[in-house]
Amino acid sequence: MNESGLIYRSLCLVASFVLVCGSALASTAEGVMEETGLRYWEWQDDGILFRLTQRLPDQTRAFFLARGFDRADVDFIATQCVFQSMFKNTGALDGEVAINLEKWEVRTGQGQSALMTRENWRDASQLQDAPAAAMIALEWSLLPTHQTYAPNDYNWGMTSYGLPPGSTFDLEFSWSREDRRFSRVLSGVECPADIHPQPE
Amino acid sequence: MKHIRALIVILVACMGLPPFTAAGPAENPTDSQPQLLHPVPGVVPAPEFRLQDMDGNWHRLSDYRGKVVVINFWATWCPPCREEMPAMQRAWLKFENKNIVMLAINVGEDEDTIFNFTASYPVEFPLLLDTDSAVINAWPVRGLPTTFVIDPQGTIAYQAIGSREWDDPHILKTLKALRMH
Repeated sequence: MNESGLIYRSLCLVASFVLVCGSALASTAEGVMEETGLRYWEWQDDGILFRLTQRLPDQTRAFFLARGFDRADVDFIATQCVFQSMFKNTGALDGEVAINLEKWEVRTGQGQSALMTRENWRDASQLQDAPAAAMIALEWSLLPTHQTYAPNDYNWGMTSYGLPPGSTFDLEFSWSREDRRFSRVLSGVECPADIHPQPE
Repeated sequence: MKHIRALIVILVACMGLPPFTAAGPAENPTDSQPQLLHPVPGVVPAPEFRLQDMDGNWHRLSDYRGKVVVINFWATWCPPCREEMPAMQRAWLKFENKNIVMLAINVGEDEDTIFNFTASYPVEFPLLLDTDSAVINAWPVRGLPTTFVIDPQGTIAYQAIGSREWDDPHILKTLKALRMH
């Protein structure tokens, strides 16, 4: 092989790498919500829109205090790395999408773990004395553990990752469509710090 | 050599693309999307319930047999639930006769909370109280809001997960088509 042939083949390899990586990255967005200054991570491709938006622990405290939890309970919930989440089936012609949060993986430098699902929260020993109405609100404010979405169906709901405020993690999320399973990764997701901003 | 030059141009162009965008989230869930209700396959009987509304009146689903019933599960703290309430009220006003009924079942909240909510979101259709979540747990609901359309025979004909523009002409047409003639 002559020199120009070698250069050509090398460039082809690099081009392939760039195009593959580029198409994956182009599906991912990361930014700051203009109104709140909170960060979001988003995947939009394959007929899926999945978004995580930070919730300050104080936001979560306020929400669950208003639902009837006591101070100790809301402190516990709010410091479990809670995000506002949205999952939508955007594939208008692609049929139903099913999710199972039990299969999603949270990866940190210390290893991997699972999300805290509705079922985990229901069994949390710290919340066993909480009022029934508060527990109903907690259950229904979380993204469903299992759900099937027809085209254009979506849920909003909180997801929690059981990590301390300020932690960083990668989330491998997955779904199935017509018996095929797909998974993608949101990288460098940051649990919001437990700060207490004051009104200006 | 021409191929190499072309490849270099492509590579430079690709590397110039930002790997991430920070121009804001892609879309809101209800932005400019077709308003679809999804047919529920098979014959799925709607689970019976008996619930009180805000005025203390009792409502049984079977009281409405022979009519189309739209049943919406919601909560005041649920943003997409709040978002679709005005559209549900507009749809309610457009129903031409009493053969289409709308019932919104609140999950887990008390009368005072819902009463305060209606100051900001006034609606005229019945708001029913499922305070212990027994009814929602008996229905195939996993997230809020979820809405079902029950046909005059008492079977679940359609469902929608997430909010909808309930006064959208396509949805109104779908509801009217279910009525008994």
